[in-house]
Amino acid sequence: MRLFDGQRAWVIQRISALLLLVLIVLATLALPFAAPLDFSAWRDFAGGVLGGPLIALLFGALCAHAWVGMRDIVLDYVQPRGLRFFVLSLIAVVLLGVLVRVLLSLAAVALAA
Amino acid sequence: MDRHSRRLPMFLNLAQIRFPIGAIASIAHRVSGVLLFITLPVIALLLDASLRSEEVFALLRKLLSSPLCVVAATVPVWALVHHVLAGVRHLLMDVGVGSELARARASARVVLLAAPVVALLFLVWGLS
Amino acid sequence: MKLSIYRFDPESGKPPRMQAYEVRPEAGDKKLLDLLMRLRVQDDSLSFRRSCREGVCGSDAMNINGRNGLACLTALDGLKEPLVLRPLPGFPVIRDLIVDMTQFFAHYHSIKPWLINSEPLPERERLQSPAERERLDGLYECILCACCSAFCPSYWWNPDKFIGPSGLLQAYRFIADSRDTATAERLDFLDDVYRLYRCRTIMNCTEVCPKGLSPSHAIERIRLALLRRSS
Repeated sequence: MRLFDGQRAWVIQRISALLLLVLIVLATLALPFAAPLDFSAWRDFAGGVLGGPLIALLFGALCAHAWVGMRDIVLDYVQPRGLRFFVLSLIAVVLLGVLVRVLLSLAAVALAA
Repeated sequence: MDRHSRRLPMFLNLAQIRFPIGAIASIAHRVSGVLLFITLPVIALLLDASLRSEEVFALLRKLLSSPLCVVAATVPVWALVHHVLAGVRHLLMDVGVGSELARARASARVVLLAAPVVALLFLVWGLS
Repeated sequence: MKLSIYRFDPESGKPPRMQAYEVRPEAGDKKLLDLLMRLRVQDDSLSFRRSCREGVCGSDAMNINGRNGLACLTALDGLKEPLVLRPLPGFPVIRDLIVDMTQFFAHYHSIKPWLINSEPLPERERLQSPAERERLDGLYECILCACCSAFCPSYWWNPDKFIGPSGLLQAYRFIADSRDTATAERLDFLDDVYRLYRCRTIMNCTEVCPKGLSPSHAIERIRLALLRRSS
């Protein structure tokens, strides 16, 4: 087993990039038509069947994309093994934390609705 | 590498190397990626807070539209625009679109110019 | 003409330094190498490699005013003064402008730069159609001067593990060859986070190739071949 993937990581990076691109374009196109956001509308969106999965997908793709990108940076610039392991762990903890935080927030809103 | 090579000097002073435009766009792609990575936890926390209560939501909205916040947000906005545009450039070059040197140089120039312009427009829009 | 040249003498025990030179080009001096040969008469301790003096042997690669190139193909006209000459970036310096290419050639050997064909030998040569032969254009011309790999940031950070633009161009030269039957093995070898995937299409390689080749394009083709194979 290899410690780091070659092609698979590269493919994950490209697919997540395409996904993020689609979401960004959709959001930009929808922006002019969106009503000024108030709290209840925002909660309804985030807890709804469309908004909840979309936001989860967005952060899932962001975290996957960020992992490959940050991993590549570490593989290039951080050569000492111990330090490399430490920095990679730190990045993984931050990204997992982000993902868990967002999913918990979305779940709380969905359950309250 | 043999033992004798290890003691040899090496020229690798980045300030004395003349980088082509593609290399500038590339390192900016990395820098913007790191900036976005740093921004990500902030966004996640903002998302969480904004969903908690009416009061927090109103407070955040006021805070985020303050001039100081708009100015501070210019940096992540530049990072996002540069990263997305440079990313599209790379995705296209992956499948052979614009990967020829003259075109790659031109697209690098466009990306490097467009991102600060959009960030500036954001600043003007946010402060007006 | 004013020059500033990187000097290093391993026997002196002193760190490298820049030395100023002044030399007057004579009629007929067209290329940087002409000037360097004149300088060597002035100072016979100045060391650099050169052989064919016409861009075929790939010996006189160096960093010229911050960009890698061959001294013999670099026109004197239009060079900014003082002309700053340094050894190839990221390569161990043996003396002055001479670098240790051991690792560079080890990467070249690792991609098995020869035709592999397990089919029985034909009576005469293995034939290629003109179209098949054309696919090697832009690949076979590489002279292994190392201008590209020594200008590639990914190669600077991982010179021991990343094959580098030159080696990858050579790898694709054999993948693209209709007479080679080891494409699958070659692709297996390249599918690695270090060997191939350290490249992030900066295109510094294509920028400086003195033969006008495009290693970045060859790398793009290798990645697509890997993608096609696994889908």
